[in-house]
Amino acid sequence: MKKALSKSLALITVMTLGACGEMAKDSVTISLPNKNPYPSTYQTPESPAFALIGANLLTGDGAELTNTDLLIENGKIVAMGPALELQPGTIQVDASGQWVTPGLIDVHSHMGVYPSPSTSNHSDGNEMTSPVTAEVWAEHSVWPEDPQFEKALAGGVTTVQILPGSGNLIGGRGVTLKNIPSITVQGMKFPGAPYSLKMACGENPKRVYGRRNTLPSTRMGNMAGYRAAWIEASDYKKSWDDYVTDAQAGEDVDPPSRNLRLETLTGVLEGDIRIHNHCYKVDEMAQMIDMSKEFGYKIAAFHHAVEAYKAAPMLAKEGICGVMWADWWGFKQEAFDMVRENIALVDYAQACAVIHSDNPIQVQRLNQEMAKAMSAGNRMGLDISAAKAMRWGTYNAAMSLGLEDQIGSLAVGKNADIVLWTKHPLSVYSLAQKVWIDGNLRFDRFDKSVQPTSDFNLGIISAGEARP
Amino acid sequence: MNKLSVFIILLFASLSASASSILIKGADIYSTTGLLPKSNIYIENGIITAIGRSTPMSADMEVDGSGMSITAGLFNSSTHIGTVEVSAISPTVDFYSDNEAVTAALRIADAFNPRSTLIPHNRVHGLTHALLVPESGTNLFSGQVGLVQLGNQPKVIHNSLAVALDFTESGVELSGNSRAAALVQMRQALDDAKDFSRNRKAAMAGDHRDYVLSYADLAALEPVVNGDKPLLVKTHRASDITTILALAKDFQLQLILSGAIEGWMVAEEIAKAGVPVIMDPIHNLPNSYESLGARLDNAKLLADAGVTLLFTGMGGSDTHNAYLVKQSAGNAVANGLSKSMAIAAMTSNPAKVFGASVSGDIAVDQTADLVLWGGDPLELTSEAQLVLINGEVIPMESRSFQLRDRYFKRLKKD
Repeated sequence: MKKALSKSLALITVMTLGACGEMAKDSVTISLPNKNPYPSTYQTPESPAFALIGANLLTGDGAELTNTDLLIENGKIVAMGPALELQPGTIQVDASGQWVTPGLIDVHSHMGVYPSPSTSNHSDGNEMTSPVTAEVWAEHSVWPEDPQFEKALAGGVTTVQILPGSGNLIGGRGVTLKNIPSITVQGMKFPGAPYSLKMACGENPKRVYGRRNTLPSTRMGNMAGYRAAWIEASDYKKSWDDYVTDAQAGEDVDPPSRNLRLETLTGVLEGDIRIHNHCYKVDEMAQMIDMSKEFGYKIAAFHHAVEAYKAAPMLAKEGICGVMWADWWGFKQEAFDMVRENIALVDYAQACAVIHSDNPIQVQRLNQEMAKAMSAGNRMGLDISAAKAMRWGTYNAAMSLGLEDQIGSLAVGKNADIVLWTKHPLSVYSLAQKVWIDGNLRFDRFDKSVQPTSDFNLGIISAGEARP
Repeated sequence: MNKLSVFIILLFASLSASASSILIKGADIYSTTGLLPKSNIYIENGIITAIGRSTPMSADMEVDGSGMSITAGLFNSSTHIGTVEVSAISPTVDFYSDNEAVTAALRIADAFNPRSTLIPHNRVHGLTHALLVPESGTNLFSGQVGLVQLGNQPKVIHNSLAVALDFTESGVELSGNSRAAALVQMRQALDDAKDFSRNRKAAMAGDHRDYVLSYADLAALEPVVNGDKPLLVKTHRASDITTILALAKDFQLQLILSGAIEGWMVAEEIAKAGVPVIMDPIHNLPNSYESLGARLDNAKLLADAGVTLLFTGMGGSDTHNAYLVKQSAGNAVANGLSKSMAIAAMTSNPAKVFGASVSGDIAVDQTADLVLWGGDPLELTSEAQLVLINGEVIPMESRSFQLRDRYFKRLKKD
C-alpha cells in the first residue's frame, strides 16, 4: 500500500541549511502529491506569421481602435498599431472596415459534461451522491466530441471554463479549455490555467439532499455543510504542513494518507484553486464572503449572480467578479429579482462584471448577450460604449479565471485569440467570420475546410455539408 | 438619437397614456406591404388614421421617431405566460397537469392570471400577444390552446383555438415509450371522438359504448375531428412530421405543426399540405435523437419552400422573456431569412392564423397595436420606446424596473 502511495507522490528534494549557514551535505526527501497528474498535451501548432490589416478593434480591455493592424507570430500578438511596417512576405489578411475582437470567453459552461444529445449516457455533470464531492474533476467527465463545442467556436468562443453542476454544496473541480477539436480533453486543457472549485449556494443543494432527508435540507444546513468541509480541510492541510516541517527538520516521517476530497479543498486554502461559486442572492453572497474569511480563502466569482446589482459595492470591495446572464429569470425564487441592468450596474459600481452562458444556445452568441446588457444600461442612462461592454465577455472573464495576463484582450504579448466578425460584433446580424486560437485559424465561415465537426456528426451531416 | 431625447419620450409616453391623438414622426415603418422609410403615423382614439405625408402635423402626443422604427406588436406563438410565476414553485404552475383524467379538455386559458408579473415585464419590451400552449403531463394530448392580449387590461381573446398534442420524445414517453404506441393512442382517440360526435346524446346518457378518454376530453376533440379546429402537434423528427401529415390527411384534420426542428428536411411536404409551423429558429443543436438535423437556417429553408412561419423563442426563455422572440427572429435573419418574413412570423402571420383581435400589421383603419423601436427593429440594442396595445399606450412600468430604480438610487449614494 505504502509503495503504491509513494509512486503517486512527487519527490521533492529540499536542501536544508546547516547551522553555520552553509548547505548541509545531506538532503531531505519530501513526498508531496503531484498537483498536475492529468497534464495538458496542447501545444500551439506552428503557423506562419500573419497580419490583420486595417481592422476596427474592440480590444476587450475597454478601448475601440479604428484602422489598426495586428501582427501575429508564434501564436502571440507581437505588434499592434496603425500602418505597421511588415517584413516582406508576411501574410496579410485584409480586415479593412471590419470588426475584430478578442476570442470570447465563457466562464460557465457545461459543454462536454452535459453534451448534445442530452441523453443519460453522457449526462456527467453532477455527482449528486454526496453534498461535498470536491474529489471529482469536471475534466474526467468531458466528452471531447460534444457537438456543442464547434457551435460555440462558430460563435467566436475560444476559451471555456467547464464546471460541474450545482446539485452539491461543493461540486468538484472545474477546468479551463481551449475550444479546439481534440480526441482527448488533455488536448484541450489550457496549459497552466489555474483549477477552479465549484460551490453552490441556495436552492439546488438543499432541494437535492432535502428530498433524501439528509443534510442539507435548509440554507442553514448548506452553511453547516460547507463549514464542516473547510474544518476538515484545514486539519488536513495542517497534517501536510506538519509533515513538511518535520521532514525538513530531518525527522523520519511518513507523509499523511492522501484524501482527494480534502486535497482539492487544501488547494483552495493554499490559493492554488479558485472558487467559482454559484450564488444568486445578495444575502447568501454575504454569508459566503464571511465564510471565506473564517477559513482564509478567496472567492474568485459569484456565478448566476442575479442579485449582483444589490451586492455590487460588496463585490467591488472584496474584488469578487459577478458572473451574470443578460436577462434570465423566474425559473426559481432565487432568480426572481432579475433586472436587465444587472451587468451594467455591477460595472457602474466598478466591480468586475462578467457575462456567462451556462447554456449551449447562449454560448453561441455571447456577443448578443453583451449587446442586450449594454442596451439595458444605456436605456437607464448609463453611458456604456460597445468597447466597454466587450470587456464582460473577454478581459473581465479572463480575470475571473486568473488568465488576464494571457487572454482576454488584443494587446502585444497576449495570445492571438482573435475573432473577425461579419458586422459590428454587437449586432444581431453579425456572425463570427474567422476565429483564431493562438494564431491558428480554427474556424472560417466561408471555407468549409476550416469548419471542424465532431465524429458524432459524421453520417448525420452529409459529406461536405456545412450546417450552421 | 441622444439619450436625453429617449428619456423625454419615455416620460412623455408615460404622462400621455390618455392622449386621444398620437403622431409619430419620421420613423421607418415595417408593414406587410413593405418598408415605408422615414414616415409619419397618426393614431386617433386608438386607430391608425393616416400614414405617410397625409398625416396631420400636430397631435396631443408627438414623438420624434427619426432613427427609429415601427413594427406591429410582437406575438409569441408558444408561451405559458400568465400560467406560471416561478417555474420551480409548483403552485404557480398551471400549464400542465398530473391528473390522468384530464387531457384534451385542459383549457390553459382558464388558469390565466392577468396580474402576473410576467405580463408588464414582457409588454414593456414590445410583446403584445401570446399563444398559451399547454404541455403534456400524463398524456399525448396536452389540452386546449389559448390566445391572450397583454394590454393594460390583459385578457383572454380565445380560450380554445386548437387542441395541442405532444409527439416529441417526451410525449412518446407518456405513451409507453414507442412512437408506434403513440400512433395507436392517437388514432383511437380520434376514432372515439368521431364516434362520440355521432352518438353524443346516447353517450352522454350512458347508453353507448365505453371510451378510454372522458366525455370532457372527447368533447374537446369533437371540433378537431370535425375539421372545425386545428390539432397543434409538437414534433421534431422529419419522419415524425411525415407521420403526422399522413395522420392529419387520413382524418381530414386541420393541422398546425410546432417545433419542427428537422422541418427543413420535409419542407416541401409541409408546404404542400398547407400546414403552418410554430418554430424557434434558434435551435441548431442535435440535442436529442429526434433533432439530429437541427440547423440555424431551418426558418429560411421552410420559408423558401412556402411554409407559413409562426415564431416563438428564444430557447428556454419563451415565457418569462417571451419578448425575446425578437432575438430568435434576428438570428433567423442573420442566417438567411428575409427581414420582412421574420417580422411577419411574429406579427401578422400569427394574428391571421390565430384570429387575434388585431391584424398584426401597420395599416390605415387598423387598431394601433405597435412598437416604436429605438433603431432597427430586430437589433437587440433597439429598445421599445413606445408600446401601444389594442390602441392604448402602455405604461413603461414593471417589477424589474422598480427593483432597478431602488438599487440604482442606493448605488448613486455610495
